[in-house]
Amino acid sequence: MKRPAICLIVAVAIVGWTAMGHAKKGGGKAADAPAEDAKAGDDKAAGGDDKGGDKATTESLDADEGAVAKVEEDISGPKKDAARPTSQLTWSDIVVVPRKAFLKGGRLELGPFYGQTVNDNLLRHHIFGVDLNYFLTDAIWIGLQGQYFIKQLTTQNELIGLQYNRTSTLNRYLYGGALNFGYVPLYGKFALFNRSIVHWEIFASAGIGVTITEVIPRNPANASLAFKNTDLTPNVGIGSRFFILDWLTVNFALRDYMLPDKFEPNPNTATTAAEAKANGTSAFVHNLMFYMGVGMYLPTKFTYKTPG
Amino acid sequence: MTTRTASSTKDMPMRMTEQAKYALSHAARKHVARGLAFAIALAVVAVPMAAEAQRKSPLAGAPAIRKRFELRSTRFEIGAGVGTTINQDFYHSFMISLRAGFHLTDWLSIAGFADLAAANIATGFRDQVVGSLGEDPGMIPLVREPTATEASSSMAKINNILGAQLEFTPFTGKYSLAGKLFAAYDFYAFVGGGIMSLSAADATNLASCSSDRALASPGMPTRDELRCSPAGTKPGFNFGVGMHSYFNQWLAFNIELRDFLAQINPSGRDVNADKVANSGDNTWVSTFMVTGNLVFYLPTTASISQ
Repeated sequence: MKRPAICLIVAVAIVGWTAMGHAKKGGGKAADAPAEDAKAGDDKAAGGDDKGGDKATTESLDADEGAVAKVEEDISGPKKDAARPTSQLTWSDIVVVPRKAFLKGGRLELGPFYGQTVNDNLLRHHIFGVDLNYFLTDAIWIGLQGQYFIKQLTTQNELIGLQYNRTSTLNRYLYGGALNFGYVPLYGKFALFNRSIVHWEIFASAGIGVTITEVIPRNPANASLAFKNTDLTPNVGIGSRFFILDWLTVNFALRDYMLPDKFEPNPNTATTAAEAKANGTSAFVHNLMFYMGVGMYLPTKFTYKTPG
Repeated sequence: MTTRTASSTKDMPMRMTEQAKYALSHAARKHVARGLAFAIALAVVAVPMAAEAQRKSPLAGAPAIRKRFELRSTRFEIGAGVGTTINQDFYHSFMISLRAGFHLTDWLSIAGFADLAAANIATGFRDQVVGSLGEDPGMIPLVREPTATEASSSMAKINNILGAQLEFTPFTGKYSLAGKLFAAYDFYAFVGGGIMSLSAADATNLASCSSDRALASPGMPTRDELRCSPAGTKPGFNFGVGMHSYFNQWLAFNIELRDFLAQINPSGRDVNADKVANSGDNTWVSTFMVTGNLVFYLPTTASISQ
């Protein structure tokens, strides 16, 4: 009889110890959650890099929110042991956005994209390209871009002949490349139906590159007179990234590619392509394109470093 | 070594009981031990699982942001600003924009807008086309090639666009610019209907593009039969996206990108190659516009969520 009793006591002890241990785990998580919730409700929003260089400032819209969040942090934060040494940090050392959801510093971004011309009512280009960017910091990057263009004549271009007995003088884009620099001035997050938080940023970029263009002869019989141009192409742009996974973003951008292009002369009396090019008409063109794509980051993981 | 020997039955019960007792206790102990071991194993596994099932995160079902200013819920929005079309072939319309709406909830609202054209500015494309045309019809052999005056007179100008829309606001958040300017913002999408009022640059002697006229002489169009006046009021659909950036609880900047889709004839000329300009040449045309408004909210204070 003794042995079963001993076994029973041991069993009860094991069960009781196990249950108490799990109860403690659940209590710990509940204690952390209000602090995180307070951070979500009391963002000072963003602009800083992962080293937390930007200083926090007071939000004019959120005086009441700040007070409530501060109370929550006081209640939920662990009691500090009086024996611990006091920190030398002040409010100005607090990073603008603690625990950003995505860190880019030191990572490589591979970003395929698709784009379309938005400012030409006669000839639309579809562009397929890829960005290869290296992030020097969380806010600054340098990168290379390659583009391949596919042209599409619009309905208005077809109507020019029917309605006005005229043909258009057009150049198609073939391919191009650019060296770009980018900067992130704005970082934020938004709530989707107040259920989930999505982090995002707005960036500005500028660069210099080359675009290869080709004349579309007004008279199809003059196809042999078509010439190509190699145009120096500076570009400026603005865009946004939405952070989906630790290694994946969805990107949108609007870029203005500025190029001094040369068009078919009017009238074209040349007999060779070289002669046509020599007689060509130059014009400064703004090719405004809207992009959408994804960004894939390597390495796929990042380590968050906190000050101190 | 114990050997079994025959014995009387009167002894057997006692001997059997002892044996039975021994056998029973031994078997019982084995059974009990196995049972206990099973019970212990089950308890080690089942009790934490039961505790896990019973444990519920205190944040389950909680909103992503608590104590949030609900800047739109049950508030009126009134605003004014400016706008412009951005993809017109012949004339860019610069507009005075008026806006009014009511936000049923923080994410759903109804609104009306009125974009009144203050100026219609010729595009570079329009100037190049008209500039390439002659002025003397006697010097133009092809009837379908208009003079510069004929071409420009039938081109459409927007007078105003009026409409109503339903707005969905799934995205709300805050941003900071260079760590200095903070603002709440939201993104929304809208869909609705409206009407577009058009006029011709010069409708003198022009038949309406809404008429079903046929050629007076089949296969032999005249210059006037190849152009029409696009003037009139056209119903259409409007949809797009917008955002608010809040300066405070009652003042915000609103920007919208709208596509107004209507059946119109921007050039006022033959489109379907039937050699006459009439209602058959009206096609679905997207008119893209961007407007920026300063909007005010009433009441001036926003509620705060739980």
